[in-house]
Amino acid sequence: MPKPESVPASLIIDTFKDVFRAERDGARRQDPLGWIISVPDTHQKTVLAALDKERDVRVLTCSTEDEANGVAAGLWMTGEPVIVMIQHAGLYASVNTLRGIAMDGRVPVFYMIGLLSREPDKDPLESRHSMVRYCEPLLDLFGVPHARLEVPDDVKVIPQYYRLSRERRGPAAVLVGLPTN
Amino acid sequence: MVSPAIADALMKPEDVLRTIAAVRGPAICIPTMTTAPAWRTIAPDDLSVACVGFMGGASTLGLGLALGSPDRRVIVFDGDGSLCMQLGSLPTIGGVAPRNFTHLLFKNNVYHTSGSQGTPGGDGVDYAMMAKAAGYRQVFTVRTLEELKARLPTILDGEGPVFGELHTGLAETTPMQDRSGVPFHQQVDKLRARLVP
Repeated sequence: MPKPESVPASLIIDTFKDVFRAERDGARRQDPLGWIISVPDTHQKTVLAALDKERDVRVLTCSTEDEANGVAAGLWMTGEPVIVMIQHAGLYASVNTLRGIAMDGRVPVFYMIGLLSREPDKDPLESRHSMVRYCEPLLDLFGVPHARLEVPDDVKVIPQYYRLSRERRGPAAVLVGLPTN
Repeated sequence: MVSPAIADALMKPEDVLRTIAAVRGPAICIPTMTTAPAWRTIAPDDLSVACVGFMGGASTLGLGLALGSPDRRVIVFDGDGSLCMQLGSLPTIGGVAPRNFTHLLFKNNVYHTSGSQGTPGGDGVDYAMMAKAAGYRQVFTVRTLEELKARLPTILDGEGPVFGELHTGLAETTPMQDRSGVPFHQQVDKLRARLVP
């Protein structure tokens, strides 16, 4: 396993913008470029802080991850590009909504999920923290494709899994291994 | 439970829905739970998507639709039991404050679909006050069809987010009694096809 590194927030945001531009290509509406629906996540706090200064991307903070799924679904139904940023505990809290909207409803929802408390020297599956350890098995149980964002070069999985969610009309997730910087 | 005399005096949800259907124009409507069976009869071929399979999600599904369709009114037909499941959606909606968003709460004080168990706090809960405190621009409470009709301009064109607490009796049919609805994913496809050119 390569040693995980913090991924710069600017790199993640530039990647988000590329994803949004690709989906907006040719669309009538270009403003905002895309939507970030978030429930605050300690692991991705530098991304959320930097997004606050972005003019092109609109950020909406929800009270719960259930709500984030609902807002994302409504936006997708109008043709808007959207990414959901949450943490693993929020994934556990919103499993029924993920099932109802993204699986049974066949709404593409792309999640960036922070693995708070993940130990850099351990595979997440071997973490001593249950909220880290159970995340990938839970996604596997529900058939949600997922990838790890462990080093800066891994940002390529963001567009890959975003597109995958659209192609298969369902959920897909990228797990953020270390706090972003 | 509400006494029969009081229940007779309450608005029938079907009458509320018919009143709104008659004037709603191109508004997107999101029914949930006991408004869903009646709505698909009253407005069978229109811009609607029912919140089915994730109770409590109607308000935020409507919020996403309102943000993505800023030139079109979005009306949510929520329930008190449903709203309690995602009560945090009130400040979420109040915070982003979409001007084209109307949130109608059908308040019957019970979880009708699952057997009419009482909702937390029952009739004593003032959801309109909660919505006002959460940042909705306009809130009101109505108990009669005449009051509802007087509020139609606000419901359809008022500067949102608008919140209306509608004191109603029980619906004639629950989703458990009438399971004839179109699956959620087909409703999603149909609405998206009409909204995304």
